[in-house]
Amino acid sequence: MSSQLIKFANEEFYAYPNSALYWKKLNIIIVADLHLGKSISFAKQKQFLPPYDTKETLTKLFNCINEYGPSKLIIVGDLLHDMFSVQSFQDRDHENFNKYTKKTEFIWVKGNHDSNVEINGVSKVLDYKVNEIIFNHIPIKTKNFQICGHYHPKVKISHRGKSIYKSSFVNNDKLLILPSFGTLTGGLNIDKEPLKDLLGKNINIFPVGSEKVYKL
Amino acid sequence: MNIDKTNPLLLHPLNPWIEKKKWSWFEHQIETFKAVKKGFDVVVFAPTGAGKTLTGFINPIEDLLTSKKFKGLHTIYISPLKSLANDIVRNLEKPIKDLDLKITFEVRSGDTTAYKKQKQKRRPPNIIITTPESLALLNSYEDAKIFFQNLKFIIIDEIHTFLDNKRADLLSLNIERLQTYSPHLQRIGLSATLKNKQDAKKWLCRKKSKIISFEHSTLPKIKILKSKERIPWSGHMATYAINEIYKEITNSKLSIIFVNTRAQAEYMFKNLWLINKKKKRIAVHHGSLEQNLRLKVETNLSKGLIDCVVATSSLELGLDYGDVEKIIQVGAPKGVNRLLQRVGRSNHNLNTPSKAVLVPTNRFEFIESKAAIEEIKKGNLDKIELKEGSLDVVAQHIFATACSGSFNINDLYLEIIKAYPYNNLLKKDYVQLVKLIQDGGYILKNYDQFRRIQQEKDNKNIYRLVNRRETRKYRMNVGTIIENPMLKIKLGTKTLGNIEEIFIQNLSQGDSFIFAGKVLEFLSMKNNLVQVKKSNSKISKIPSYSGGRMPLSTNLAKSVRKLISSKDNWKEYPSQIKEWLDRQNLISVLPKKDEFLIEQFPRKKNYYTVIYSFAGWHSNQTLGFLLLRGMKELKYKPLGFVANDYAIILWSLDEATEIIKLLNINLIERHLENYLEETSIVKRLFRDNAIISCLIERRLPGMEKTGKQVLFSSDLIYSVLKKNEPNHILLQSSYDDAKKNMIDYDRLIRILTINNKKIILKKLKTISPLAVPIILEINRENLSKKDTDQYILEDLEKEILKEANVQSIN
Repeated sequence: MSSQLIKFANEEFYAYPNSALYWKKLNIIIVADLHLGKSISFAKQKQFLPPYDTKETLTKLFNCINEYGPSKLIIVGDLLHDMFSVQSFQDRDHENFNKYTKKTEFIWVKGNHDSNVEINGVSKVLDYKVNEIIFNHIPIKTKNFQICGHYHPKVKISHRGKSIYKSSFVNNDKLLILPSFGTLTGGLNIDKEPLKDLLGKNINIFPVGSEKVYKL
Repeated sequence: MNIDKTNPLLLHPLNPWIEKKKWSWFEHQIETFKAVKKGFDVVVFAPTGAGKTLTGFINPIEDLLTSKKFKGLHTIYISPLKSLANDIVRNLEKPIKDLDLKITFEVRSGDTTAYKKQKQKRRPPNIIITTPESLALLNSYEDAKIFFQNLKFIIIDEIHTFLDNKRADLLSLNIERLQTYSPHLQRIGLSATLKNKQDAKKWLCRKKSKIISFEHSTLPKIKILKSKERIPWSGHMATYAINEIYKEITNSKLSIIFVNTRAQAEYMFKNLWLINKKKKRIAVHHGSLEQNLRLKVETNLSKGLIDCVVATSSLELGLDYGDVEKIIQVGAPKGVNRLLQRVGRSNHNLNTPSKAVLVPTNRFEFIESKAAIEEIKKGNLDKIELKEGSLDVVAQHIFATACSGSFNINDLYLEIIKAYPYNNLLKKDYVQLVKLIQDGGYILKNYDQFRRIQQEKDNKNIYRLVNRRETRKYRMNVGTIIENPMLKIKLGTKTLGNIEEIFIQNLSQGDSFIFAGKVLEFLSMKNNLVQVKKSNSKISKIPSYSGGRMPLSTNLAKSVRKLISSKDNWKEYPSQIKEWLDRQNLISVLPKKDEFLIEQFPRKKNYYTVIYSFAGWHSNQTLGFLLLRGMKELKYKPLGFVANDYAIILWSLDEATEIIKLLNINLIERHLENYLEETSIVKRLFRDNAIISCLIERRLPGMEKTGKQVLFSSDLIYSVLKKNEPNHILLQSSYDDAKKNMIDYDRLIRILTINNKKIILKKLKTISPLAVPIILEINRENLSKKDTDQYILEDLEKEILKEANVQSIN
């Protein structure tokens, strides 16, 4: 998988088509909005979506860790979809959490979907800071640099009479928002409120394609 | 007609009314009465104007008035359209009121008020006139069994519109349900004339059944517009003949111009207004217009307050619009039945011929129009192919059954396979569908505690709903018609109609487009509303509407081939058409009716291959894709293809020397799956399947989802399922649908199993005359959705890089 350089907060990050962000210098992987167990949450409303989203998203996550062997994984919120999500874990999923948290430090920044459920070996925090950068689920008012999730940004691309939507990394000089990492998650258009207001006019957009991350 | 002394209808309660009107009973009415009386199910075939509606009611009315003090629901009448149901009531009202018969009858449809519906349930009328969807809903109520227990007759009107679609499947299942509730129920079908009458009987009737047919047709007078202009090589808008079409309108009191697409309707309407010097009252009518706008046009039409309507198939069926003098068909007829149906709109009198003028918009269409006229003269109609029932409809029906009460899984299966479309439904598929309703039917058992239906503890064959609240979800999802994601168009506070989301997405603020005959400027889009204002712009787009493209019928294609193959047929053709065919004969060849012509020629550095299959758009489109794949394998470096109803044209960097080798059944095995995948055909059908089977909801209560969001989430489900559970019943169902509806599988097979001796391969130095209209249709790339996405991104990036004068990003 080829990566896309994103310069932010005087640091170099690499965005991957699996929607993960790699901070090479410090060997840290950052992901957002996995929404594990979303399908089970729908099943409660008798909407029976295929129950494979947890498996798929976790496979993607653990593959990513296998490949880069990061010292740290920062999840900027909404690891789980709701308090029942852990029910969607198979035995193998629990085993994998045990295995991977031994090699890599898992930092779980609590998101609005994350309930009081705990996962073994994963430390849950309200926010997190590395050097000059704050990791939040929802951005707060601050003068610091922030890396966040929550919005699942996507961008509408119109070109030669055709329009497509692509989930995207997006940043301005102070804020970088990650696309959602979960397989069963929708998106919010960056042209629409509240993202439009939050990001202002001076932004960089990095749509996620199937083989690479682009730059607009 | 001679008065038959033995005519039993002379004693019928309606006879005084018939006599008063100075009418007499038709022979087919007498036959119907006798057969039904003897306990036969019947299908009655009769042309317009032969008292078809009355025929359906002869037995029910007699039975109602002779059975002592019959109370409650006696007869159900199914109409394909809500608007038709109202018309039926008006027709029934006349004799019943006139003779003061003690019979009650009411419409029940989506437009009936909740209050009225409640009242109907408490005190049902003797006759309910309704639609397949409303019948399904009635069957889902807990008291359905009691409501229908004394039902004597079910009448299916316009049965020919019900034979080959999912709506027919739904109706068929519900008829069997009624039969279970009321074992003495008899079935009466009414139809326009059909080629395969036996099939209609098989679909509707039980064993003891009869076909009753009234063959009396006054041949319509159909001609092709004699234009002073040259018929263009290609195109679909008939701009060349607009002045002559206008003349046709001014020559007749009231006319309908039928076109094939909504875009053509808007375009034609606009162009007629530009030359409307005589101030003719012209209106437009199509399926996307707001209902009240459509109704207004219909009312004005029947009152004679307009002179001409430009319409799509939206005006094909149904009401009798007074004195329509002439039908003008612009564009290809596509099928004999369809043309006949349209032409029949001009006249509802049995003994006067209908009048129609055909306006071909290009050269192939000229021949197609000629062929259609020939076949109508010969009375050679298209065959309507019966199809195996769709699985998603069964799932919906299982859910409905659960809503009406507990059910035995084996009994329900036995009832379902009585319905003709499901005679061959496998028990194992059926059980999967029950599981689908239960909890999605996945191999991974995660949802045990959230089930929708559940087995009883002491009898594992009995299933019941876990929570009655689920009935509401069923009722919101009922039906088999799934619209594309649509947005409402608002001019001020007035709603003009619906437009496809995809069209609006490609508009920018200030762009103007034509809709409902008006030039409109796009202001904004919020939620599901598109706000517009009137505009004077001269440059405006015309909304395109996807789907609904009808392929040329097999029957008509055969006739077209016959006309092309022999010079004798061209005598009275316009000279340009004759020259066109003559030149083709000189430069290449005109294939005989059972020959299969392939032409190859170089052009602008590429090599072109044209395959004249005459197989209709659907199968040609598929074949084009498959051949493109095959050519890639043979390393001809293919670049693209274009298909229409008549032929496929492929172009490649290298000459496709062994193209004939590819025309083989193996082509399907190797590439069909790929085709369905890459063109998103199955994905699109999966969305319909997921909604019809109630796996996902059309709309969540209290949550206004836009159509796009529904599409998006069904796409997600599709890809997750495809990866993890490729044998899931809904994927199977979607593939079945694709084969049945989207690719004309049987026609495809016929082409690929063609005897190689019948193939004529012509190597030419240059493009042939017959290929010109097809090559002119090359206007777009044929890339898969995935490729297109990639292409758009790559291309955009390149442009931006060029602008920024940077070579590469990576």
